[in-house]
Amino acid sequence: MLMKGEAFEALEFLVTEEFNENYLHAVEDLHPRYMQTTEAGPPMVHAALLIVFSNHTRSPSFHLDPGMAAIQTHDDLAYENPGRVGRTFRVTFDVIETYEKRGRPYQVVEASIVDDRSTPVLTRRTTYTYTGGPYPGIS
Amino acid sequence: MTDDTAANIDEGYEARGATKTATSYRTWLFSGGWPRMDGWPAKNVHTDLEFARDSGLAARNASGAMMAGYLTELMVDTFGEGWLRNGAFSLKFIRAVGIGDRVTAMARVASKRVVGSGTGFEAEVWCENQDGDKVVVGTARVQTAGSPKGAPG
Repeated sequence: MLMKGEAFEALEFLVTEEFNENYLHAVEDLHPRYMQTTEAGPPMVHAALLIVFSNHTRSPSFHLDPGMAAIQTHDDLAYENPGRVGRTFRVTFDVIETYEKRGRPYQVVEASIVDDRSTPVLTRRTTYTYTGGPYPGIS
Repeated sequence: MTDDTAANIDEGYEARGATKTATSYRTWLFSGGWPRMDGWPAKNVHTDLEFARDSGLAARNASGAMMAGYLTELMVDTFGEGWLRNGAFSLKFIRAVGIGDRVTAMARVASKRVVGSGTGFEAEVWCENQDGDKVVVGTARVQTAGSPKGAPG
């Protein structure tokens, strides 16, 4: 497990219309703001897509031993600007705190998303714990 | 916020989102990676029962990020698209959402006050399942247009 002061490798991803629509169907939110170009620009990227792609599990360097899983326990999210379809997003993942509680490890990761114009989109501070392997399961 | 969606919202206002069903397929779409890639859906605790059990979980479950997505939809519908510029959540995930569970995002406005030339709202937010059990609880904050970004809300 990475410790405070370490970072997972950054992730870059392009959001196409089709990619965005995949997540609209996943969360059953087919609002036109996510599918239509307006005066403000191309369709918005659904927040659910941005959230799931800023989970540390999406980092190219994220790794867990077989039989282990990461579980999200808390999330502080601050929205800064809508993401737009057609843009490439970069997510950085900094481990800002690690601790143990009742025999279970916790890791707080700050993920920041900016687009390819350096526009800040979303910042998250997410607390994860781990289950399986040497750690107790969660029923 | 760039619109007046929230102009008539006062303390005590309650908002209820559409009830969503975390079906097996939607969970694959959400947590399985890109459907056009080889090996889709990627195996993890959300997409694969055996993986979940091997990791010490009783069953597959829907991602917490999915619940945050449901809540974001409710906030944008309630407060307007400005939420995506000035909105913030603090969420705690307190109960697993199983495959097939029906989840509804809810909010209750706890405070409304003038912030600069705009308005700041704070709300209790939560998601509850088909049994009425809360699965996510937390707070939301948003500021209307005219208030300086980052000011206390």
